[in-house]
Order: sequence, then C-alpha cells, then structure tokens
Amino acid sequence: MRKTVRTLLTLGLTSMLLLQGCGSGKSADVPFTPKYDKDTEFSLTVAGDYSNFESLEAEFERFYEYYPNASLQYVSLDDYGNVISSALVGSEPPDIFTTKSSMIGNEKYDDMFAACEVLSDESVGIDYSCIRSSLIRTTDSGDVVMLPVFTTSYGMLVNMDIFEKEGLKVPTNFKELMTVCEKLKAAGYESPVMGTDRFSGSGLFNNFVYPMYAYNVIKNNDKIDALNNFEPGSGELMRPALERLDEFVKSDCIDVAKCQAEISDEYDQVIMRFFEGDVPMMLAAGDVVSGTAKRESKSDAFTANPFKYRFFTAPAGDKGGYFINSISICFSVNKNSKNLDMANEFMRFLISKKELNNMAGLKRLITPTDDFSSDELYSAIADIPDDRSFSDKETGLLDPAVRQFRAAIYAVGNGTMTVDEAVAAYGSIPEE
Amino acid sequence: MKRGLIITINLLIMGFILILIIGYANTKATESNKNEIIAFEKMTVTTNQIIANYLEDEQHLCDTWAEYINHSAQEGATMTLDEAIAYIRKAKTTPEIQAHLILADTPNREGISTNSKVSDPDVYNVSYKNIKIFDTINDEADSTGAVNITRAYTNPLNGVQSIGFFNYVTVLDDEGGQHNGLLMRVVPISSLEQKLVFLKGEYENVEISIIDRDGNYVVHGKSFKNSNFFEYYKSYNTATADEYQSVTKEIATGTGSMAIRNFKGEDCILSYTPLETMSTWVLLAYIPAKDLVANRQIDWLLLGIASLGFLALLIFNSSVMMNYNHRLSEAAQQANQANEAKSYFLSTMSHDIRTPMNAILGLNEMVLRESGDDSIRMYSESIRSAGNTLLGIINDILDFSKIEAGKMELINVDYSFASLLNDLVNMVQKKAEDKGLAFTPDIDKNIPSTLNGDEIRIKQVIINILSNAVKYTNQGSVTLSIHADRLQDKPDTVRLRVSVADTGIGIKPEDLGRLFVAFERIEEKKNRNIEGTGLGMAITQRFLDMMGSRLEVESEYGKGSVFSFELEQKVVSWDPIGDFEEAFRNSLRERKNYREKFTAPDARVLVVDDTAVNLTVFVNLLKRTGLQIDTAQSGDEGIALFTKKHYDVIFLDHMMPDKDGIETLKEMKTMTDTSNILTPVICLTANAISGMREMYTNAGFDDYLTKPIDVEKLESMLLQYLPKDKVTMSADGDGEGDALGGPGESGSSVSDGAVDAAADGEDELALPEFLFHIKALDLNAGLNYCGDAEDYVETLRMYLDSAEKKAKEIEKYWAEGDLKNITIKIHALKSSSRSIGALELGELAARLEKAGNDGDTQTLGKELAKLLSEYRQLAGALEPLDRRHEPDADNDNL
Repeated sequence: MRKTVRTLLTLGLTSMLLLQGCGSGKSADVPFTPKYDKDTEFSLTVAGDYSNFESLEAEFERFYEYYPNASLQYVSLDDYGNVISSALVGSEPPDIFTTKSSMIGNEKYDDMFAACEVLSDESVGIDYSCIRSSLIRTTDSGDVVMLPVFTTSYGMLVNMDIFEKEGLKVPTNFKELMTVCEKLKAAGYESPVMGTDRFSGSGLFNNFVYPMYAYNVIKNNDKIDALNNFEPGSGELMRPALERLDEFVKSDCIDVAKCQAEISDEYDQVIMRFFEGDVPMMLAAGDVVSGTAKRESKSDAFTANPFKYRFFTAPAGDKGGYFINSISICFSVNKNSKNLDMANEFMRFLISKKELNNMAGLKRLITPTDDFSSDELYSAIADIPDDRSFSDKETGLLDPAVRQFRAAIYAVGNGTMTVDEAVAAYGSIPEE
Repeated sequence: MKRGLIITINLLIMGFILILIIGYANTKATESNKNEIIAFEKMTVTTNQIIANYLEDEQHLCDTWAEYINHSAQEGATMTLDEAIAYIRKAKTTPEIQAHLILADTPNREGISTNSKVSDPDVYNVSYKNIKIFDTINDEADSTGAVNITRAYTNPLNGVQSIGFFNYVTVLDDEGGQHNGLLMRVVPISSLEQKLVFLKGEYENVEISIIDRDGNYVVHGKSFKNSNFFEYYKSYNTATADEYQSVTKEIATGTGSMAIRNFKGEDCILSYTPLETMSTWVLLAYIPAKDLVANRQIDWLLLGIASLGFLALLIFNSSVMMNYNHRLSEAAQQANQANEAKSYFLSTMSHDIRTPMNAILGLNEMVLRESGDDSIRMYSESIRSAGNTLLGIINDILDFSKIEAGKMELINVDYSFASLLNDLVNMVQKKAEDKGLAFTPDIDKNIPSTLNGDEIRIKQVIINILSNAVKYTNQGSVTLSIHADRLQDKPDTVRLRVSVADTGIGIKPEDLGRLFVAFERIEEKKNRNIEGTGLGMAITQRFLDMMGSRLEVESEYGKGSVFSFELEQKVVSWDPIGDFEEAFRNSLRERKNYREKFTAPDARVLVVDDTAVNLTVFVNLLKRTGLQIDTAQSGDEGIALFTKKHYDVIFLDHMMPDKDGIETLKEMKTMTDTSNILTPVICLTANAISGMREMYTNAGFDDYLTKPIDVEKLESMLLQYLPKDKVTMSADGDGEGDALGGPGESGSSVSDGAVDAAADGEDELALPEFLFHIKALDLNAGLNYCGDAEDYVETLRMYLDSAEKKAKEIEKYWAEGDLKNITIKIHALKSSSRSIGALELGELAARLEKAGNDGDTQTLGKELAKLLSEYRQLAGALEPLDRRHEPDADNDNL
C-alpha cells in the first residue's frame, strides 16, 4: 500500500509529460450522453470535509435531468482525514469521496487509495482530458484514481473600484507594486496591502512569496532532494524569496501590525475586512476567495457600498507574479460501492469542461480545466505567461520542506529572524 | 330575441356557473389544503413523540450503563476504562450501537470503544480530538437533564453519521488515576431514521430533519442543501431581514407550519416543532406542497370538462332551438300566409258577397216597396230575411276575425238606453212571434236614460243571446230582464244586470264548456236545422271580456237556460227611462210599414261609383225622398261635378280605377274655389273588415257606409248630414224623439205588406227579344241584380256604352305595365259583368283580378286577350241597345 502511494507521488512528477491536456481538444465539449436507462433508480452518497457543498448539490440537480430517479446526497464527515478510511469500510460507506493532493504520500491513506476505483480504466469511460494535465495524479501503474474538481492558488483579492477611483492599474510586478503602494499610501490607504499574519498556507507571507519560491525550486530541481532532506546549505534556495519578502514588509505596502490587529483568523476575517472597502489589495489563497460570495450579504459595509473585485497573482517577481496551481480537492470513487456503475456514471457526467467550470464558478474556486474565462473573478490568471504558470506538484517539495519555508517567511515577515538567520536555520526553524 | 343575444346570455350564464364552480372548488381545495396541512402538522407532532420516546429509551439505556458503573464506584470498586467497556460490551445487544468511554478532561479527548475501528480491527482506542461536539454538549443536552445528546457527528471508528447519548461516570485510568469519564451510547442516525419508516406511504416524500436553535443540522434531510437550515431558507426564499428574523425565531421556538420554496423554486410545506425531550432541537418535517395540497390541476381538468359539457349543451340546444325555430318560422310563415289568405278571403268575401248582396237586398227592398202582389211580397220578404241572415253570418265572421286579430276596439259613446232597448226588442220580438214564443221584457224603470259605452257591442251581445234563446226555444217564452244598481264606490257608474231566460232545450252540463268555443255547435245533429256558425257565444264572451264582464250560464237540460251578465256603464244622465214595457206595448200597436223617413227635394247629393249598377241601386233606394242625386262613374268625373255644383252630401266609392276614392277626396280637399268645402263626404265601401273605420277617418272621410247599403242606415246618415232646413220629415216617419228613442222600424219590421207602391206604378218593361239569344248573359241573374227589366236594360245599355272605352283602357294599362290600374279595371269589369248576368265573363275577370293582385303577369298575359275578346263580343251582342239606334232615347238622371 505504501509503495503504491510513493509510486503515485513519484510518477506524479512525470505523468504530466505523458498525458494529453485539455488544450488538445477532443471530446471534452461533447454533451453528456447517459449510458444507462434514464429511469434507473439509485442512490449515491458523496462524502467530504466541506461543511456544505452547494456547488456539488447544484451538479446533483443537473445530473437529475438525465436520471430523474436518482438520489444523490452530500455528507460532511467530521475529522475527515482520520475518518474517511474507516468510513469506506464501515456500514454506510460513501460511493464517492473527496481526496486531496496532500494525502498523497501519507501512509494513513493507503487503505483509502486502495479503495479507489481506477478512473482511467477505459471501461469506466471517463474522459478527463479537459483537466489541465499538470493536475492529474497517477499511481505507479499509471492509473488515475483521483480527479481534481477544484484548484486553488496563492495571490490577492483586488478592490477594482479603488484602483479605478485612484486612476491606477493593478500592479503586475514588484516595481509596479511599490509605485502603486506609494500612491495609495499617499491617497490615505494606511496599508495598501493586507492579509492574515498566520503560519498556514493562507498567511499573507505565504501568499506573497511562496509562488516565487516554488518557481525558483522548479528552476533548480536538482536541489529538490536536498531541500526535502534539509541538507545543510540547501536553505540558500529560499534567499531570493525571503529577501523579496523582507523588502516588501519594510515598504509602505503593508502594515503587518495593522494586519495582526484587524484580521484575527485566516478565513472569515480576511474576507470581511476586505469587504470593508478600504483595502486595495488583500493577500489571500483561492480557498478564501471561494468564501467571498456568501459573505457579501453578511457584510453591512459591502451591502451598503458594493464594489468589484478580482483575484490576481501577487506581483512579487521583477517580471511579474507566479501562478502556482494547487489541487484543492479531488473526487475519487469507492470501488466497493454498491452502485459503482452509477458512481462512475456521475463522475463521467461531472468530469467535463462545462460541469467543472460550472461547479468551480459556483464555489468560486479555480477550475481545473484550461478555461479561466468562464469565471471573471479568476480571469486575470489567463494573462500569466506559461513560463510562470505551474503546478505545485512540479516543485517536488515534500510537506516538511514546505512547512520549513513557511516557518522561514513567518519569522522573517514578523521580524523574528533575518534572512540570513532563516537561511542558515533551514530544517530547524521553529514552526507554529 | 336575437340569436346572438341568446348565445351571449347562455355564455354569461355558463361563465357565471363556471366561476361559481371555480370559487366552490377553490374554497373546497383551500379547506382541503388547510386540513391536509393540519394533518401534516399532527403527523409532525406524532413524529416528535416517537422521536422523543426513542431518545428517552436510548438515553435510559445509557443511563443504566452509567448507573451500574457509578454504582461500582460508589461501592468502592471503581471500574477501569477496560472494565467499564467490558461490562457494556456484555450489556449491549445491538451490533450497530457502540459505546465510547472518553476521558473528557484529557487533551485529545481519548478513550476506548466497545467496538474496534473498522479499518483496523485491533484498534479500540477512540479520539474525539478533531470532532467538536463537546464544546456545546451542555447546551445540546436536554434542559431537564432527562436526555443528554450530542449533535449528529461522524463516528470516528466507522465513519457512520451518529448521535451520542451520554452520561458521566467515574472510572480509573490505566495508571489508577480516577477520572470523570463521558460514557457515550453512539447510535447511527439511520437507526433513528428507521423509526420514521411509518411515514412512508402516507407521506412518501416527507423528509425529517432535526436542527439546533441556530439552524445547524443534527439530522440532515437530503433535500436541504447547505449545512444550516436558516442559511438554506435565506438562499432560496425572498425575505426581508425582519421577516428572516421572524421566521428563524418562529421555527426555533414555536410549533406550526409554513410555506417555503425549495432550491428548485417549488412550493413546499415545512412543519416544525421543538423536540419534546430536547427543546434545544427542532424537528422539521418537509414535504413538497404538491404532495400535500389538493391538486388544482384536477380542478382545472374538471372545469375544462364542465366547460366542454356546457358548450356541447349550448351547441346541442342551439341546434335543437334552431331546428324548432326553423320549423316555427315555417309554421309562422304558413300561418301568416294562411292569415293573409284568410284576410284576403274575408276581404273578398266581404266585398264579393256584400256587393251582390247590395243588389239583392236593395232591389228586394224595391220589390217590397213597390210590389202590390202579396205572393211576390212574401217571396221578397223571405229574400230579405235570408239576406239579413247571411249578412249576420258574414258580420259574425268579420267580428270574430277582428277579435282574433286583436283589432276589435270598443268605441264608447253616449247612447240612449231606451233606443238600445227598442232596437233589441224590435229585432227579437218578431222572431219570437214567428215561432209562437212569448217575448217578455222585464226592464227596470230606473235605468238611467243616457249611458256611456259601446252601444253597438252591447246591443250585439244581447241580440246574440236573445237570438240564441229564440233559436233554441220551441215553445214557451223568452224573457229579457235588465236591472240597474247604483255603485257606492263609483258614483258615476251604474251596474246593469242583464239576463235572458228561456224555456228552451237547455244545455247538458258536459256541453257547457263548449258553449264559448268558436265554431263549436252543441248537439249539432239535433240542431242541424238551426242556422248558425257557432261563433255567436264566442263573440259574445269576447265582447264581454273586453268590457270587463263575463257571461254566466245556468241551464237545465230540456227545461231551459238563463244567460246573464253584469256590466258597468258610466251614467251621463240619471233620468230614468220609465216604463219601457208600456212603451213597447204601444210601439207594437203603432208599428207601421215602411215609409221614407223624410223628403228633401231641395237637397242635392253626389254619388261616385265606378259600377253603374251600384249607382242605380243607390238612386232607387232614395227615390221617394225626392233628393236630387247626381252620379259619376269615376273620380275625375266626380271632381268635375264637385267643382260645378253645390252638394249637401257626397258619397264616394273607395275602389275605383285610375283615381280611387281616397285620391279623389284628397284632390277635392285641395280645392278652395268651391261651395263644397264644408260638404260631408261619406265613403262607400264593400270592405267591412277590421280597421276600415280608422282608415277612412284618417283619410279625411266624415263617415263611411258599407255595401250592400242598408236603406235605414242610409236614410239615418242623410238625416244626420243633410241641412235640417232642407229636410221634411215624413208625417208618420217618427225619426227620432219618440218614446222609444229611435226609428220606428227596423229591417225586419216591414212585414205587413202595406207598401205604397202607387208612386211606382209604371208598367213593367219587357226585355228585348235579342237578349234571350245572348248565351253569355244569364238574364235571371241580371234581373235579380238590377231589379226590373227597365233598370236591367238601362244597366245593359250603360255596360255597352262604356265597354269599348274600358277595354281600351285595360289594353293601355297592360301595354304600360301598370298592374295596379289594370287590376282595378278588371275588378270593375268583374263587378259590372256580374251585375248584368255575364257570370262567366265575371268569373274570368275575377281570376284575372286575383292574378293582378298576386302580381301574376303570366296568367294575365295568357288570359287577358280572352277576357277582352269576350268582353267585346258581349258588347257587340248588346249593340242593338245603343242609344244611337233609338232616336227617342234620353238621358235620365243616371
């Protein structure tokens, strides 16, 4: 089992080279044609850790148009990561369940992955060519057992009305950012850029420089193993990102103390503070962005003075921002499902450009397909050159190495370590 | 009513009924829906009870476990975790239910389970570190402490959605340390859901959910999206902030139901009530409204069927009505045609019978006056009697036709009641005498002398009754009783009680109902020798109806009858009529033969009639009065005389060719340079059908006289219109003002043969021999029409004189296509031909006259030449009578 997962990880790095992407066309846009009798009666349960999953429920309704006698239900499992393996062998196992890229390589999910249907099997008939190939994960035997439905990224929410009001353009590189921030500061915006000062991936420092760091890692992939193994000196690869972060926090762009005082969590508060309408740029991950729609009506300020906002990559690089695309969640099918055929049928329905875009649009996450134009919120991503667009799996960094980088930026950003200290302490930087 | 209007009314009625049906159906549906919702709410309460019982039962089992474990602790034998779990493993019997014993005060909230982890059978440890149910556990527990329950959560050992019933126990850890443990009886939600299986069937699509006060689901119905019911409600239902607050408060604390929209926008019913054992939780029962409320679609279907039914009924009824109307229309058309035919017949009968009757009765009157031969006078009297009977029948038929046509009108005038009685008695007394019956008048002396009413119709009514009494009484008497009563409430009115009692044959009770039916004659076989049309009583009853009265009949078959009626009349003069019976007796004694009522040699009368025979009759009837009578045979001729001479009275025939009587009158009225401006003009007409009086009066005539001319009426009319200074009343012609108040004679009173014929003592003129050889002439008929040989020859001569002229006029009108005048000319030819006994020619003319009236030019075209040919042949045969062949011939006053 463990071998399977390790192989999956390893092959994940190379599989993208073997698979065809959505851009090659094919049958992605072919309308769904039910394989079974439309009067077939069946029930399916989809399990996940989202407390609610309205965008999926919307897909259920669309699916009912083809199978009106179907009954699909989403179940939110408590302590999903620890429970899903048991749930799959329990008395009420889900037919479809969510998986994450972070589960890859974790032994406790070996049983879970072992219970997954091979979605790349031709007999299943799922055409996932519409999904960006860099997001496809395979086992060592080349099987696809999980297909991404949402992806996320690191970047920032931009209040477009402020930029329009101030006659400014959204900055696309670090220099422009400095200029814009200077003007915004002059215009009365105390902290033109804000974010939550947290250790997690949603933290403002991570959103600002992690894509830049990941890009640097990919460009120096010969040093990936050293980074993963915390070899002495390997921390040098963090230096460019840490120095850019240091420069950033010391500029007029951001008032970290203000961020700490006014944004107390990494989700609700980030959104609600942004909706106050006086923050030109709010560093946030895609997962946070997905919560904006529901909270618009909860914000009295936004309700009173609504404004247009969009998601951009953080302009940390000299040439521009970096779009690092991470899988948010994947769907896998329980191969032991009592309704395996219909579970696969639902997946066959769901895995299409139309449905994935639709679901991502509702969830306000980034579609796994190559068509960003379907959601205006994320449309700016399409402008990022291919050279600076990549998948997180391409970095090859293991979770411990990623966490050390987060510890480094958290320390530098908050001024508890210098860049040199952080670089030197790589592998042993205190984590949260 | 027009068809469109009928259809519109039908449609309106249909629409009204449909609206009623809709209203009723909606009311019923609303009531039904309310009842359904109430039943649904009751179901929710029942479900609540079941769930409450279930929760209490489960809690009780948990408490039992806890009690046992705590009891051990109290006994000083505190159990370890393993011991406690071991005990529970033995106690619990259902495999799907687990018990978790958690050390709540440990950081990771760890403990052990009765069951192993499904993914690893060796693992019994359980951790609630990442399952946040303990933070609010005290809030979620029942406030009474009877039930302690968690929200639904995922059992970390098997991934099954479950709820936990808990109680606190005292246990020892592995190291012997005493801890407060949380004992949880973990029950799959599906177990609870199974308790609600009873709902299926009655409410197939009902979904039961349980939420906490904040709307978070404890049990999540699959149709509810979102993790919070209130969020779900807000997402799919339009509500203001206040409404939203009101709804959330109501659901969180109250019991009831409400309509909500689901994520599909469909109407649904949500019933809610707090859980009895867990008031912090709310039970929600959700069902699509279409499953619960009456299906309005069915109502519309029924409505559609009803509408179609109504439409079908309307179309069917319309078709049937159209068919009936078509038939009725045809029947009405036929009836109209028949009525027109009847009118035509009556008109024709009136004219065609009255015209010869004029000659018959007029000439017969001459015979009666001038003949000294008793046998001839007797024959003549018979002729007069029969003629009068015939006229009576015709008059009855005409009256009845008037009544049937609704054109009979009462004409109220002031009249002398004594005069009316006199006429009655004179008319009946003779008939009674002839049958050897005693006629006894019984007249109230105090009857007012002058009354106001329709004298003619009252007289007609009583005469009809009296005539019937005489007719049907063979021996005994006929008694006429008339009495008057004053009316207290109508001081100017008197009520007359009239009764006629006879000792006649009587009427069977079963025949009484037929008495007033037109054309019905009772015991017709038995009474076949009695003249009558069967109209008399019917007309009598109709007249009385019109006068507000009713004829009463009492009869005893074989013994006699009493006919009576009461009649109110306005009183003009209350002077009593006195002893009529005495006057009657005197009148009998004083009855005289006919004498002209007056002489008026200085008066001049003009009579215009296109028929020479009628002119002859008219002149002869007035011969003894000494009147100067000018005659004219056409309107223009009459106008010429009108302009030249002064006349005291003018008689104008109505139906004349070229210029009829009305046109002639109009032209006369336009003339101012004449001495006849004030001269009364009387219309002579053989048309006695309904409406004639109005027509002639409206046309400007002062009066009208029907043909055949009744000499009594003629003389009375002349007395009315001639200047008094030119009239000398005859010595024994009592005229007016005697005790009886009217003329001393009636048509039937001239019977004693004492006619003064000396004035006409001329020798009879023998007919010329050649006339007997003319086959086209019936000499007897001609003599009958014309009276005597002299008049006949004179009439023939006039016929001859005008023949060629009239024939040419007919040809001229034919050539001009003047159908109206050609018909009039043929009408005149018919009349004149019949008058001279040219009966066949008269018949031919009658056919062509009808053709002319019908616009039948085809028949006219075929037979006109024949008519003219025969006409001219006859005229040629009469050529010897031409005055030009008689050097001593002179023009008399004709």
